[in-house]
Amino acid sequence: MTSDNDRRRGLLARLRGRPAARSRGRRRLGAAVRLFAALMLAGGAYTVFAPGAQAQDNPPLTGAAAEGKALFDVSCVTCHGRNAQGVEGRGPSLIGVGAASVEFQVSSGRMPLARQEAQAHRKPPLFTDEQTRQLAQYIQELGGGPVVPEGDELREGGNVAAGGELFRINCSQCHAFGGGGGALSSGKFAPSLRPATDRQIYAAMLSGPQNMPVFGDNQLRPEQKADIIAYIQETLKHDQDPGGFNLGRYGPSTEGLAIFLVGIVALVFASLWIAGKS
Amino acid sequence: MKRRKFDLAATPGKAAVGVDDRFAVATPLRKLLNKVFPDHWSFLLGEIALFSFVVLLLTGVFLTFFFEPAMTEVVYDGSYAPLQGTPMSAAYASSLDISFDVRGGLVMRQMHHWAALLFMAAIVVHMLRVFFTGAFRKPRETNWIIGSLLFWVGFLAGFTGYSLPDDGLSGTGLRIASAIMLSIPVIGSWVTSSIFGGEFPGTIIISRFFIAHVLLIPGLLVALISVHLGLVFKQKHTQWPGPGRTNNNVVGERMFPRYALKQGGFFMVVFGVIALMGGLFQINPIWLFGPYEAWVVSAASQPDWYVMFLDGSTRLMPAWEINIPIGDGYVIPPLFWPTVVLPGILVGLSTMYPFLEARHLKDRKSHNLLQRPRDVPARTAVGAMAVAFYVVLTLSGGNDVIADKFQISLNAMTWAGRIGLLVAPPLAYYITYRLCLGLQQHDREVLAHGVETGIIRRLPDGRFVEVHQPLSASNGHADGHGELGYVGWVVPKKMNRLGALGPAIRGFFYPIEKPVEAPVSPGHPPVEARPEREAIGSGESRR
Amino acid sequence: MSTHTEHQAPQGQEPLDVNDPKLTRFDIVREGARRDDIEIVHYEPQVLPGTKAERRLARVVAGFFLITGLAATAFLAIYIWWPWKYEPGRGGDKFYTPLLGLTLGVALLGIGFGILTWGKKLLPKEVSIQDRHEGAVDEEGRTITGQTMLYMADELGVKRRPLLGISLLAGLAPVAAVAAAPLVGGLISHPHKNNQMFTTGFHAAEGGERIRLVREDGRPVRPADISSGGQLTVFPGIEHGVSNRHADSPTLLIHLRDSDAQASRRANERIGHGDYMWGNYAAFSKVCTHAGCPASLFEQQTNRLLCPCHQSQFLITDNARPVFGPASRRLPQLPIEVDSEGFFVAKSDYTETVGPDFWERP
Repeated sequence: MTSDNDRRRGLLARLRGRPAARSRGRRRLGAAVRLFAALMLAGGAYTVFAPGAQAQDNPPLTGAAAEGKALFDVSCVTCHGRNAQGVEGRGPSLIGVGAASVEFQVSSGRMPLARQEAQAHRKPPLFTDEQTRQLAQYIQELGGGPVVPEGDELREGGNVAAGGELFRINCSQCHAFGGGGGALSSGKFAPSLRPATDRQIYAAMLSGPQNMPVFGDNQLRPEQKADIIAYIQETLKHDQDPGGFNLGRYGPSTEGLAIFLVGIVALVFASLWIAGKS
Repeated sequence: MKRRKFDLAATPGKAAVGVDDRFAVATPLRKLLNKVFPDHWSFLLGEIALFSFVVLLLTGVFLTFFFEPAMTEVVYDGSYAPLQGTPMSAAYASSLDISFDVRGGLVMRQMHHWAALLFMAAIVVHMLRVFFTGAFRKPRETNWIIGSLLFWVGFLAGFTGYSLPDDGLSGTGLRIASAIMLSIPVIGSWVTSSIFGGEFPGTIIISRFFIAHVLLIPGLLVALISVHLGLVFKQKHTQWPGPGRTNNNVVGERMFPRYALKQGGFFMVVFGVIALMGGLFQINPIWLFGPYEAWVVSAASQPDWYVMFLDGSTRLMPAWEINIPIGDGYVIPPLFWPTVVLPGILVGLSTMYPFLEARHLKDRKSHNLLQRPRDVPARTAVGAMAVAFYVVLTLSGGNDVIADKFQISLNAMTWAGRIGLLVAPPLAYYITYRLCLGLQQHDREVLAHGVETGIIRRLPDGRFVEVHQPLSASNGHADGHGELGYVGWVVPKKMNRLGALGPAIRGFFYPIEKPVEAPVSPGHPPVEARPEREAIGSGESRR
Repeated sequence: MSTHTEHQAPQGQEPLDVNDPKLTRFDIVREGARRDDIEIVHYEPQVLPGTKAERRLARVVAGFFLITGLAATAFLAIYIWWPWKYEPGRGGDKFYTPLLGLTLGVALLGIGFGILTWGKKLLPKEVSIQDRHEGAVDEEGRTITGQTMLYMADELGVKRRPLLGISLLAGLAPVAAVAAAPLVGGLISHPHKNNQMFTTGFHAAEGGERIRLVREDGRPVRPADISSGGQLTVFPGIEHGVSNRHADSPTLLIHLRDSDAQASRRANERIGHGDYMWGNYAAFSKVCTHAGCPASLFEQQTNRLLCPCHQSQFLITDNARPVFGPASRRLPQLPIEVDSEGFFVAKSDYTETVGPDFWERP
């Protein structure tokens, strides 16, 4: 199982599981040191928060995670509680959800929630990429969990044909054949994939946000995930429709609308003119 | 030379004489050329269906040259990269080839599909016109029945065509069709197994649907359409009432040359609109749905619009299963009612309506004059009720798309449909009935008191009254309020419509102003034909 | 017919002598129409010959036909020279079909509007009135035809010679059946051949190996392959198991969370399916019991399974009971366990009928 993972993505294999988190932490040390220095310089409120949290029984946080904790305590603590242990009736515990989940929810603007409803909607993100990474690092260090590999172009090397088959088996039932999304029970929905970045799609598959099933690396290997992302990004989004305007890719319902609004309306006007007495 | 030239000019005449010597067609031909057709825009709606059927035949023949109706498994190696190497049926592979590897194949495929949607849409719109104007009454009940059958045969043509490409949507549709056949009590499993040649999906259904789609059903359609047109020809077209128009004549244009030219032009326009849609609007991108695999489905899997009402009824149906505890026990699944019983009732009701209405009204006369919908409130309201029923079902057929795009709960949409199906039709009946009565009353008021002029006059005692322009000359009453009868045609309601009887709106979008002519009474159709009044017969009033 | 024509001829006029050299061509046309009970009551040119208006309209019509010519030429040029082969991404080939449709549409609309303008604006307007002959049913003709048919029936003498009629019926009825027999006999197929409606690909042969659950690429499935809150479509690990030949076999293998798995196990025990799950894993048929679509929209938090075709919703933690929509029967559950090599196998075939309901389902 691991052998074929290593074939193409040794890095990913290393990143998986508990040891992965450690190594990731080590690699990030350099940046973290710089950030920590900056933090010390900034002084003030941040230093008050950071030691406060570290004083508890958690292992000491790296610099980025400490930054993340500071952000967490300002923006997320209301619903997810101190140390992300969750608040009954408001927000779930984030222990063990992993950096992937944080990255997906925060970078797509779903978190922080605007209001309680059936399902969070995509919004312009509140945090910058750097802040998102810090928050993710904090949650990762609190309880571990799945992590999205490095890089922005996670589709690289993906095969659209293989991706298409996987997409149709695993994704199209909810996100629809064109990736436009679809309805689920009682107001829940599968969102459109059009605004999603490679990392967000990857993170969603790994973490199973909201009602989406989890597609762990054992189920869809990282290169299969790359295939799916390649299919979504290159075929569904980038490939122009060869047959003209796609009517929103809603399937036969908008086609039916079009035949009445365009075809019948145009021809009724034509017949009005033909039979008119001008 | 001279003599020869003379011969040349006379050749057509001579040839015509020669033909007539042998076949004696001159008189029948003259009768044909001279046949009179009434002219009204709503009479052209059926033509749209006819012309799109011609386009369907033309494009369909093209598609058969490239389509391979087989379910044998092949591995795709055509030009569409995102499916290369995918195992699929030969039918789906050849459909992809039509889209990507046959020059101009995609535009043909799309035109064929749009023409099919237009065919069905035009049938429905035409049917509504016929219904609401009472054109189905004696002697035209047969043609109404044939028209209703045309809808259902067209429905079958559409469904078999939808199933042929064997993409994800086709297969899902077939799967549901097999489940519908299975749900028929007693014989269901036998019917399904016989049609599919075994358990779903089998290996033969595409070939069977193909021959049905390209031969049996089009043959039936051609036959029905021929009889439909033949009867229109034989029985002569209905016409709107109006001056000079009676139950015993047809006022309009002779077929040649003007009417026929207009028809030919309209055919080209219909063809052109289908070509534009076929090129500019993508329809059924089969390459995105992928080959049919029993475990693959897309969100928002829907049938084409004319089947959507059945999908809607299926979605709204509560889970009522009937168990019959005899022997091992038997079941009537909930799927049976909305997909087998409901269409059965609809076919019966729609074909029998002319007889039901005639029986109810004890009306045994022949009717060649149409009725304005407002003048028959009960029928119009029943029609509105049927339309409301159909619209609720059709919307419910797409309720997941509506739920998703307008962010409504899916379950709420289903409940809204269930309640709407019970509430909307009676509501539509009531509202339409009142609307008709209101419109009728307004017509009668104008006939009695004249057109509102917008001029307010103050009476000596200080009251304000609006001046009305009576429609008829004074007939003894000093105030000019002569009673006018209603003849079932448009009553002018604005000053600048006076004198413009019938659909004589000059100008296309806006009426062109012209000097007001002497008010003409619609209540007194000319007894003796005076040229200017006959002209009014078709709305012509220009000199 | 001719008597009618004479009868209908206006004001008892005698039919014109069409060979009269004094008559204009229109006179003859009008006379022809009269003989067909048509009165041309109004006939008026819309534009006078040689006027400015006529020349303008002729130019408009010519313009339309010219547009058609240009568009048709453009269509041909595009058809021949435009790059049309599919290339991934955005490129000229994506405009091939729209351009063909556009040029063809414009060409056809050009002819259409050209002809329409010609007919509508250039040709004279007319109002003709044709008699319908309604209400004046030819009673005499009816009688004659009726009597003729009755006479013919008498001549055949079926009434007088009943043997003929009976033997005709007796002979023809089997012939009709002969016509129907090959069709019905050829098409008919026993629905319960090999018990096919009650078994799936997971049905192991007598005494044979239990059948593995495999993925779409044929690999067997291990418990570790599915994360908690995940689901996987699995197939019977037999030849052609992953194909439409076993359209009733696709199964959804779900890894439930601890608490949900407990609820699910309790529900299983209630209906005597106590051993159907393995650990936190449960397998349900993917074929909807309503109309056979793949019910595969799994909501991992609410544990609902939604069918996209008619929105039936099944609660996985309650034996996949239908909780909303038109489905009336729960999704059958596949009893599973893990074999000695660590792969999922089906303990047995489905114990309930898979797929949409039918009359004789016990």
